[in-house]
Amino acid sequence: MAETVLSINHLQKKFGKFEALKDITFDVQKGEVFGFIGPNGAGKSTTIRTLLGILRASGGSATIFGKDVWKDAVSIHERLAYVPGDVYLWPNLTGGEIIDLFLKLNHQKHTTHADELIKQFELDPSKKARTYSKGNRQKVALIAAFSTDADLYIFDEPTSGLDPLNEEIFQKNVLALKSQGKSILLSSHILSEVERMCDRIGIIREGRIIETGTLDEMRHLTRTMVTVQTRQTLPDLSGTDDVHNFKRSDDTPNKASFSVDSDKMDKVMQTLAGLEIIGLQSTPPTLEDLFLRYYQKDSKGDGQDEA
Amino acid sequence: MKHSSYQQSGFLTRFNLRRDWFVILVWLVILGGLMASVAFKFNDLYGSKDSISSIVTTLKMPAMVSLFGTFVAKAPYTTADIFASEMMVFMALFMAVMNIYFAVRNTRDEESNGMLELLRAHAIGKQSPLLAATIELFLINLLMGLFYFGGLQISGMHGMTVTGNLLIGAGLATVGFMFGSAALLMAQISDNPRGATMLSYLFLGVTYLVRMITDVQNADLTWWSPFGWVEKLSIYHENNWSPILLMVALTAVLLLLTFYASRHRDVDAGLLATRGGRKRASVFLTGPFSLVMRLDRLSLIVWVLAVIVLGISYGSIFGTVGDIMKTNPLMGKLMGATAVDAANRAIVLKFAALLMIVFAVLVTVPSVQTLLRINGDERKGWLEQIHAKAISRGHIFSSYVAVALIIGTLSMFAAVFGLWLANNSVMDNPLSFARLFRGFIGYLPALYVTLGISIVIIGWLPRFQTVIWALPVYGLISLYFGNLLNLPNWAENLTPYGWINQVPVKAVDWSQVWILLGVAVILFVIGFVGYKRRDLIEN
Repeated sequence: MAETVLSINHLQKKFGKFEALKDITFDVQKGEVFGFIGPNGAGKSTTIRTLLGILRASGGSATIFGKDVWKDAVSIHERLAYVPGDVYLWPNLTGGEIIDLFLKLNHQKHTTHADELIKQFELDPSKKARTYSKGNRQKVALIAAFSTDADLYIFDEPTSGLDPLNEEIFQKNVLALKSQGKSILLSSHILSEVERMCDRIGIIREGRIIETGTLDEMRHLTRTMVTVQTRQTLPDLSGTDDVHNFKRSDDTPNKASFSVDSDKMDKVMQTLAGLEIIGLQSTPPTLEDLFLRYYQKDSKGDGQDEA
Repeated sequence: MKHSSYQQSGFLTRFNLRRDWFVILVWLVILGGLMASVAFKFNDLYGSKDSISSIVTTLKMPAMVSLFGTFVAKAPYTTADIFASEMMVFMALFMAVMNIYFAVRNTRDEESNGMLELLRAHAIGKQSPLLAATIELFLINLLMGLFYFGGLQISGMHGMTVTGNLLIGAGLATVGFMFGSAALLMAQISDNPRGATMLSYLFLGVTYLVRMITDVQNADLTWWSPFGWVEKLSIYHENNWSPILLMVALTAVLLLLTFYASRHRDVDAGLLATRGGRKRASVFLTGPFSLVMRLDRLSLIVWVLAVIVLGISYGSIFGTVGDIMKTNPLMGKLMGATAVDAANRAIVLKFAALLMIVFAVLVTVPSVQTLLRINGDERKGWLEQIHAKAISRGHIFSSYVAVALIIGTLSMFAAVFGLWLANNSVMDNPLSFARLFRGFIGYLPALYVTLGISIVIIGWLPRFQTVIWALPVYGLISLYFGNLLNLPNWAENLTPYGWINQVPVKAVDWSQVWILLGVAVILFVIGFVGYKRRDLIEN
């Protein structure tokens, strides 16, 4: 392993005075699914378009397969498949024609795999793109991408228009690609999707990558939610540095919930054990907690929240 | 009025006007300014008896009648007579074009880009957006009419009357609104903006051709073409208001049909529904070039057919145009048969030379439309996935350029071919194909240079790309009117169309052809360099 497919180094992009990307650094290894998450307007699509050579970087560097994304766009794209967030298709072509065209543009043929995908996603390829809904346009792009034999797949919020059933089909296909050793860059809002599929995650905010790592690594940096009930009197733990948001239950005595810094768990547990635990529930932080924590960090502006 | 179907129409109209005021202003300044400035210049041009009588002879020639309409004024002629006779058909054409633009843009365009759906979810009536678009169109035409009237009033042209000026304003406003209403109806019939625009131009084209042919053959029959009605106003003479009534009546019928159709259809649907198509791409659809070709296939077919019809129509009046005996029997008798033949031939050739400019400007339109797609398709997001493929920018760019050149070249050829075809059947002594072909070869370089300039703008100033339209519009105005307005040479030479010598009267200037082709190639390259190094336009 450890073959780097995509590598971005301090990438910057300015539109006039506006700095859309300030400092983007991350890389994607061969065979991994990299989740790229961030709120609207954080710079996800701008990053991806720069990677595709559609936009020209103002600073920093980005390479795919070791080649410069601007200069060698064509040879990079030979081995790449892409699905944009908003899929727009020529209104007077049919879905089937567009899928074939996309394949031919990468010198590939319509295979049985493509037919299979059309069936899986339940797309009617004989309709003109004008009559497709957002979800159906997205299916066209997804079918074209999944049936393309590439080494890197880039999906920019690919499931925003899909229903849960089709989302499931999407996830299945991504995992199938992964099992074939393909690399995938997946930008998404849907955190459960990222949580389920991605090996590593990069969080972008206001044009900067603020965190990258595996979900476990990130969890480690944050807190676990604990709900506990003890036989002995439960003291107020909010005084200690390790416990946050301590909140007693209203109806049950000696029951409370709070969050603990993940690396202080051991210490807190020892304290609780002395109080004879009756019930204990600990929930690892979801990606959503992580996400919210990162985004609210600045707006709240309270320093003690810092991990 | 609290009818639930029309609720909030007034609010929507105000909203539309606020959204469109700048575009309306641009049209107002260009068309109103054109009209007013011509009127101001007319006393200098046609103030004297001599100049008037010589231009009247010209305007009575069938060739001029085919372009400007029948000359209906009776002697003694005034400057204003000449003005009305030269301007009405031409301005009516521009008014129709403007109305089609606004009508389709504010109805079917809004519907297909999803705005209508958003609006309809609010507390507004079902017909309100359509009514608002109709009112806006009415107001635009009213404003235009007032502007024309006001401009003429202060121009101080000899021989004009307040009634006549009013009739010009009213006539142009009504004819504009009539074609606008037709376009509103077409927007109900077709389920996409392109189709609606095409149908509207089909209606305009047919009425214009009927007007042209009947004018040359038998002017009474021109009553059968709605476009011909503007000629029947008899401005500054009888000041006949009945054509206005006819136009209003037709407009009312068109609007009734429009609102009826709109009430009985779903959002996004049209009478002509989009049909399904192939499940798999054809073997021909393989890359950017064949893609652009496939996308513009319909445009290519429609344009080639349209200009063939136009060529045939003009060619079919060659017989009448080149008949001095008919227009000027006295002169014909004086000259003798051979001299008459030679004179006839000279007139036809001169007419053909003027038509070549009209054709060249006209076929610029579809070519420029294809070029504008380079940025337009990108802005719509259609190209994003193509750019993510193993296709270089140069490949994509040159595909659009190639298709634009093909459409322009084929259309130009079709126009000349149509001219030759009809001329062959109506003339005793027809012009040879080789002779007319000079016009084709002669004007191609001008067309290519114009496209080259367009490409430079597209590559370097994508935001201002609509400016390109100034070239064909100015080219047409300066050369169509050039002689009649005594425009100085430099004013005619501002666009490449003015650089060409009088083909097919004269032989093709080959050294100029090669130079212009070279210039065109250089412009293509400059444009491409700009396109290659910049960010692509994404929504």
